[in-house]
Amino acid sequence: MLQASKVHFCIKQRPIVEQISLELNPGEILAVLGPNGAGKSTFFKILSGDISCKHGSVKYNGEPIHKLKAKDLASVRAVMPQHSQVNFPFTVQEVVELGLISTKTKNSSQLINEVLNATNTDHLKDRVFNSLSGGEKQRVQLARALVQIWESKPFPRYLLLDEPSSSLDIAQQHAVLSILQKLKSRNIGILVILHELNLAAQYADKIALIKNGEITKTGTVDEVLEEKLLEKVFDHPIQLIRNPATGRPIVASAAHIYSTFTSFKQA
Amino acid sequence: MIATLSHTKSQRQNLILTGFGLALIGVLLASLSLGAYHIPFPQTLAILFDLIGFQVGDFQVQQANVLLQIRAPRILMALLVGGGLGIAGAALQGMFRNPLVEPGLIGVSSGAALFAVIFIVLVPVSASFAWIKPIGLPLFAFVGGLICVLAVYRLSKSQGRNDAATLILAGVAINALAGAFIGLVLFFADDSALRNFTFWSLGDLAGANWSKLPVTVVLIAVPSILLLLNTRQLNALALGEQEAFHMGVNVQRVKIQLLLLSALIVGAGVSMVGMIGFIGLVVPHLIRILFGSDHRLVLPGSFLFGAILLNFADLISRIIVIPAEMPIGVITALIGAPFFIWLIFNLNKSNN
Repeated sequence: MLQASKVHFCIKQRPIVEQISLELNPGEILAVLGPNGAGKSTFFKILSGDISCKHGSVKYNGEPIHKLKAKDLASVRAVMPQHSQVNFPFTVQEVVELGLISTKTKNSSQLINEVLNATNTDHLKDRVFNSLSGGEKQRVQLARALVQIWESKPFPRYLLLDEPSSSLDIAQQHAVLSILQKLKSRNIGILVILHELNLAAQYADKIALIKNGEITKTGTVDEVLEEKLLEKVFDHPIQLIRNPATGRPIVASAAHIYSTFTSFKQA
Repeated sequence: MIATLSHTKSQRQNLILTGFGLALIGVLLASLSLGAYHIPFPQTLAILFDLIGFQVGDFQVQQANVLLQIRAPRILMALLVGGGLGIAGAALQGMFRNPLVEPGLIGVSSGAALFAVIFIVLVPVSASFAWIKPIGLPLFAFVGGLICVLAVYRLSKSQGRNDAATLILAGVAINALAGAFIGLVLFFADDSALRNFTFWSLGDLAGANWSKLPVTVVLIAVPSILLLLNTRQLNALALGEQEAFHMGVNVQRVKIQLLLLSALIVGAGVSMVGMIGFIGLVVPHLIRILFGSDHRLVLPGSFLFGAILLNFADLISRIIVIPAEMPIGVITALIGAPFFIWLIFNLNKSNN
C-alpha cells in the first residue's frame, strides 16, 4: 500500500499542501482532481520523492520514503511526468530501455517487448523519439515508466502519473487510460492526476478531490462526483448527467443555465 | 527478436569503436613518421619493433632519438589531451542536456587557465620546491576549472530552469571575468613569471616530454576511465534530471562525479598544452550525428576521435610550415569554428 499521512508542505510559510492523508491500494486507480493551483502537483512530487515534506510521512509498502534509496524507490514506483523533453536523438527503443537502468533482470528484452505491446508502440521502436506526435510520445513515456515496474514481484508496485492526457485528443486520452486499466491485474496501484473530470468518472475506482492544499473529499466515483461538492471546489456551476450505457456520471458545465437567470455567484 | 536487435547493436558499437581504434593507430604511425625530420615508414616500424625486441630492419640512432625522445611523448600527450577533451565534452554535454556545451564555452578552460596563471605567477617555485611544479600546475588548473563550471551551473539554474540561453550567457560572463583576472594577475607578475607565462600560453604540444607524461596519465586517463562508468546514468539524464531520479539514478552524486572528473581532465589538459578549443564541442557532436546518442558509444568514441583529431591537427601544424610550427589552437579552431557556425545554423533551422 502507498500511504501518505498528514503530509504538509510550505513554501515561504504559505502552506501548499496541508495535512493530506491518502491511501492507494494495488489494483486500484485513484484519480486526484482539483482546480489549478490546488497543490496537486506539489503533493505528487512529495509522493514521487522529488521533494521531501517536513511534516507527515509517505510510506511505500510500509517503508518510509526517506529511508529508500533512489534505486530501491525505483523498484516500487514509476513516475510519468507531464511533459518530457529528450534533448538528444534517442530512438524509442533506447528510451524504453532506459526504464530498466536500475533493474537487475535477465529478460530485459522480453519485458521491453511486452511493454511496447501493451502501450501499442511496438511499431515505433526504431523511430527517433523527438519525431513522434504528442500522443505517441506520451505512450512511449508510459512504456518507459511501465517497464520499470512491469516484472512480477512479490510486492505491489505503484505508478504515478501527472496529467498524462493533458495535451491529447479524445482517442489518445482513452487509449492511455485504458492501458492503465489493464495494469490493475498486475498488482500495480495507479495514482493519476487528471484535469478532465469525465475521464476520472469513467476509469477511476476512487477519487480524491483537492482544493487549497487540502483534501475536500475522497471516496468512490459516486461519492465524490456530486453537483454541490464540485461546484464548491471548482467555483463553477456543474450539472451531472448519467451515461445511459454505463450508469457512470458525466460532468457538464451548467454555466449557460445559470447565466440566463442570474449570475451564479448570487445564486 | 529484440534480443538479436540489441545484440547486433552492441556488436555495431564494438565495430565502430574498433574502427576508431584502427584509425587512431594509423594517425599515430603517420605522426611518428612525418615531420620536419622525415623518418621513412619502414624505419619507423623498425624502431618500434626494436623497442619490443624484434629486429626487422636497420635505422640510424638519430632517427630513433627523434622518434622516441621528441615525437613519441608529444604524440602520446596529444592522444591523452585530445581524447580527454573529447570525452569531457561529451560528458558535459550529456550532463547539461545541451549539445552546445563545450569546456571552453562554459568556463572550464578559462577557469583552468586563470588558476594556472595564478600558480605560475604567484606561487614562487624555488629550487627546493621544484618537485611540486609538475603536479601543482594541473591541480591548480583543475580547481579553477571546477570553480568556474560550478559557478556557471549555479547561474544557469538560478531561475529554476536550466535553459540554454542562460547557460551560455553565464559562460560568457564567467569567461570574461576569468580573462580580466588573468590580465590582473599578469599586471603584478615579475619578469621571470611573465616569461614562464608566455612559454606556457604558447606552450602547445611542443613542450611535451616523457617527464610530463606520468602526471598526465594519472590526471586524464584515469578520470576518463571513471567517466566511462557513468554512461548509463548519462543516458538516463538525457531524459531529464527528475526522470533520471524516478528511474533510480542518484542524480546529485552522478552530477558531482561528472563535474569533478571533467574539470580534472580539462584542467590537466589546459595546464599541459594550453587552451585548445572546439575539440570538446565538435567531436561528441560528430559522433552523435554519425552513430546516435547512446552515451555508451558517444563517450569512448569521443575519446578515440578526439585523440585522432588532435594528433591529426598536430601533424598538420608540424608539416604545414616546415621548419616552423603553426600553433595547434589555430588548426583546431580552423576546423572547429566553421563547424560551430554550421551547427548553430542547423539548430535554428530545426527549431523553427
